[in-house]
Amino acid sequence: MKELVLAAAVVLSAHAQPDVAAVLEHLDQLYRSDNSHAEMTMHIVTDHWERTLEMEVWSEGSDKTFIVVHAPAREAGSATLRLGSEMWNYLPNTNSTIRIPPSMMTGSWMGSDLTNNDMVKEITYSSDYAGEYMDQPAGADPEGELLYLRLTPEPSTAVVWAWIECAVSRDPLLPVWEKYYDSHGELIKTITFTEVENMDGRIIPAVMSIIPADKEGQSTTVTWSDASFNRGVDQDVFSLANLQTGGDM
Amino acid sequence: MNLPLKLAWRNIFRQKRRTLLTIMTMTGGFVLASLSIGWMNGSYGNMIEFFTSHRTGQIQLHRTGYLDDPSIYDTLDNYLEVGAELEKVEDVISWAPRIYAGALLASRAEGASPGMFSNSAGAALTGIDPLREEESTSFSRQITGGTMLTASAADSILFTTGQILLGKELALVLDVQPGDSLVLFSQATDGSSADRRYVVTGIVATGNIDLDRTTAYITLADAQKLFALENRVHEMAVFTGSLNNVQRATAAISEVLVDDSIAVEPWQVFAKELYTGMKADEASLQITLGIIIGMAALGVLNTILMMVLERRREFGVMKAMGTRPSGIIRMIVLEASIMGVLSVTAGCVVSTAGLLYLSEHGLVLDQPLDYGGFTFSEMLATISPDCYWIPAVCIMLTASVVSLIPAVKAAHTDPARSLRMV
Repeated sequence: MKELVLAAAVVLSAHAQPDVAAVLEHLDQLYRSDNSHAEMTMHIVTDHWERTLEMEVWSEGSDKTFIVVHAPAREAGSATLRLGSEMWNYLPNTNSTIRIPPSMMTGSWMGSDLTNNDMVKEITYSSDYAGEYMDQPAGADPEGELLYLRLTPEPSTAVVWAWIECAVSRDPLLPVWEKYYDSHGELIKTITFTEVENMDGRIIPAVMSIIPADKEGQSTTVTWSDASFNRGVDQDVFSLANLQTGGDM
Repeated sequence: MNLPLKLAWRNIFRQKRRTLLTIMTMTGGFVLASLSIGWMNGSYGNMIEFFTSHRTGQIQLHRTGYLDDPSIYDTLDNYLEVGAELEKVEDVISWAPRIYAGALLASRAEGASPGMFSNSAGAALTGIDPLREEESTSFSRQITGGTMLTASAADSILFTTGQILLGKELALVLDVQPGDSLVLFSQATDGSSADRRYVVTGIVATGNIDLDRTTAYITLADAQKLFALENRVHEMAVFTGSLNNVQRATAAISEVLVDDSIAVEPWQVFAKELYTGMKADEASLQITLGIIIGMAALGVLNTILMMVLERRREFGVMKAMGTRPSGIIRMIVLEASIMGVLSVTAGCVVSTAGLLYLSEHGLVLDQPLDYGGFTFSEMLATISPDCYWIPAVCIMLTASVVSLIPAVKAAHTDPARSLRMV
């Protein structure tokens, strides 16, 4: 409900510049809301291998996330739980649960171009970045339908990029692309959001593609196939016990 | 014996104290130079010898480009065939294959349930062939607790428990001892996740804390299975037993392996840090040598100049009797050269004694040197031809060149004026 009000406020003020903080909060909440459940596939392409993971994700607020992988067979049952400041991985092959140390939060999740941080949303735009509007890039968007933001990480935010440029559509208020830059101004990665769909009454881009700038031919594409929002999640989902049963609870 | 030589020889013994002083100055210069060369060569020789024979090998093989930008995908394929080729090279004594990969290791906190591994740390994993590694580097000598890895058939069955060795500091971070269990989590080269349970069989202390804080060792067969690298390795370390035949062996290996994708590199390339450090210190040694030789030269110049002044009347008489200026120059330079030869002879004796002592009882460093991860607290000298011919050439050159200046001065003595002086 909160986001609906926020979104309405943002839409009403279209063509004026909506409040940056409201836009960032909206982006943070887009796929999560108060609580959510989604099925998604992740297609990873690298120079050396290509694979598709099928998984299910639950979230609540900004500090609880549970992800379980259903396919391929070798990883089926692998699960990730974030609870507050801790992140745990369950490895079905060895029937063990390991804690991911904070130093690994910027590491890759299952070999994808997404980091552990990205997967559990440990870092949020609204609390870990300072945002401001920027001039639109030359030649882009003659209609003026997109908002352009530049996000600078707060000093305490542990990320490898120096700033992010985002393009956000005004109506509906949705991300279109994000570009991550290092301190030398070199592009690190680009994320695009496409296939806008209505899922459980909520308009979201169903496909998110991450393209690293320095690895040609490499990409990760996440596709939401089914999502529901604010229907409540059993608190037992976010437990170490559930982690070890591979989300059967 | 020709006349100038005869005169020069006799002149040396005319003023014994003056001669002795000059010879002592030159001998001192020789000995200092000789000892510094022997000590520098020795300490570097020992360091490199130790470093290469206990870890890196004298020559390494990688896929071309691996050293500049190591990637788990850049492998040497069919390493056993490459190894068989290596063994055909005469200078190659042994070789050891290695796999390098990153992994997350996690151990159980005390009292935690069996499946919960909450102490986790990133580690640099090294896959080693226990038998070849032992043969090449005497790896097990670095094991301070527990036992060495054993090669076994179980390595290739991932659902059984594997064996792992941990660096001393890494074991402290994970709070484990030999016998405790661990989980390893990483990613294979086919994109799938790689995980296995291990029992810590031993603790490794290489003496390099940075290395021991991050490194864990598993068997090569295990690493190949875990990371889907069957029959592939990242590095083959080649041991030639000595630093002297490295160049020849490198050339011979490059000749045997006609494959552009394999880079064959001697320690000067893969241990660049050590090599450049050595080169830099060599430059500073040259400066030190220059100063020592310069001081000896000033001493020689001083004594010969004094001698020429003292003997002005003598040169006046010689010239008055018809000696040519060139004859006087030749005589003085000969005198200096004879003293040079005497100094070098004396220097050789003293230096040999000094070098023999320093090669047994090295200088103990207050602050141990850290090179490539190995610490050296004692530096021993070695005796090599360099310790003799370099100072000898320097001393002889100095004696003859420096004596030219006073000799020319003496040669231009005006006989009439110098004879009038008392």
